[in-house]
Amino acid sequence: MKKIIPILLIASMLYFVSSCEKDDICVEGDTPLMVIGFFNIDDTTAVKRVSSIRIKSLDIDSILTNDSFSDRANSPDSLMVPLRSSATSTMYQIISGSRDDDETEQEIGNIDTLTISYDLGEAFISRACGFVVNYNNITVAVPESAENWIQDIKVVQPNVENTDNIHVKIFH
Amino acid sequence: MSKYFISIFIGLLPILVQAQSEPIDLQQKDTIEYKDQYGLRVGADISKLVLSFMDEDYTGLELVGDYRLTHKLYLAAELGNETKRQNESLNNTLLYDYETSGSYIKAGVDMNTYRNWYGMNNAITIGGRYAVASFNHTLNDYSLYETNRFFNKEFLPGENPNREFSGLSASWLEFVVGAKVELFANIFVGMSARLGFLITNTEDEAFPNLWIPGFNKVTEGSNFGVNYNYSISYFIPLYKKSKKSKEEPENNQ
Repeated sequence: MKKIIPILLIASMLYFVSSCEKDDICVEGDTPLMVIGFFNIDDTTAVKRVSSIRIKSLDIDSILTNDSFSDRANSPDSLMVPLRSSATSTMYQIISGSRDDDETEQEIGNIDTLTISYDLGEAFISRACGFVVNYNNITVAVPESAENWIQDIKVVQPNVENTDNIHVKIFH
Repeated sequence: MSKYFISIFIGLLPILVQAQSEPIDLQQKDTIEYKDQYGLRVGADISKLVLSFMDEDYTGLELVGDYRLTHKLYLAAELGNETKRQNESLNNTLLYDYETSGSYIKAGVDMNTYRNWYGMNNAITIGGRYAVASFNHTLNDYSLYETNRFFNKEFLPGENPNREFSGLSASWLEFVVGAKVELFANIFVGMSARLGFLITNTEDEAFPNLWIPGFNKVTEGSNFGVNYNYSISYFIPLYKKSKKSKEEPENNQ
């Protein structure tokens, strides 16, 4: 009888350990997207939506769609765009008032081209997620033109490590 | 002569009775004293040896030893070296693959809580250890986790595979529950389960310690870890000492 108690103790200890092992599901993090917020140039603290927004990637020549906004709809206060992890810059055309010409089917919205440059970094997030990419020291450039609908751009969070806050403010 | 035999016998009877006059001591002191064997017990962990043969991603050796101090108390130590390759993947996509290699030493005490029958030397012990480990990781391969598939349909491979993180160390306290059984003369088999509590953990910022030799898996957000061993060991008797008989006070009538 005396022998049974420690054996039970050891067995329960092993059971306890194996049962509390975490499931290998990655919930701790992800490679972040860049968050862009749209603000009023006249009142820089007030958000201002962009009408009928369309975002097009010049790098892979396709129209961006994701959960943070709807294509050719009025933009939300902020939206998220992915950055390329295979290169240190990503180019997007951000189109305000996007629509196709009825006859030529050409884009007739106001197209501004954003060039986002950054340094690539890697970070280990957790056992289940492994490594993700971080984008550090981002800079955003827009070719100067009188026809730009974007008046000013300000990088408020130069290191893109999560999607909690706005990284880039666009004033228009 | 035979004529007087019975008379002589009867005449001698009182002597016989005289011999019985001294009372029989029912609480006679046992002159044969049982002496416990004291000495050094050395051995190896069988489970690590078996795993080394069975699992191509693992090699390990652990030497175990203890020295009997008093009737119940033993000084105990383990010395080991382990190499283990592990990986983590998600839906058949490799997230990372790494190999940990290093040595550890554990030292402490065991206390036998089992009261043996005459001549037996089995033990059920509880004990504690302080352990230190020195090790390094090699990150063989990894990919970059990204759920957004706009640019890349699959996870991109990491920039710097085959990286080594060396000069890592950890120390921890261990609570040990174990049993040892004398299988043949001086040959013991034992098993123990250990609950470790990590005290120091020197890790590289770029790649944390997910597994520590001797400590086993490191759980995120917790300092506890669990490991076990199954040992076979040989007892080298050095001297004998009798147990102090304070537990059996003499009964004076």
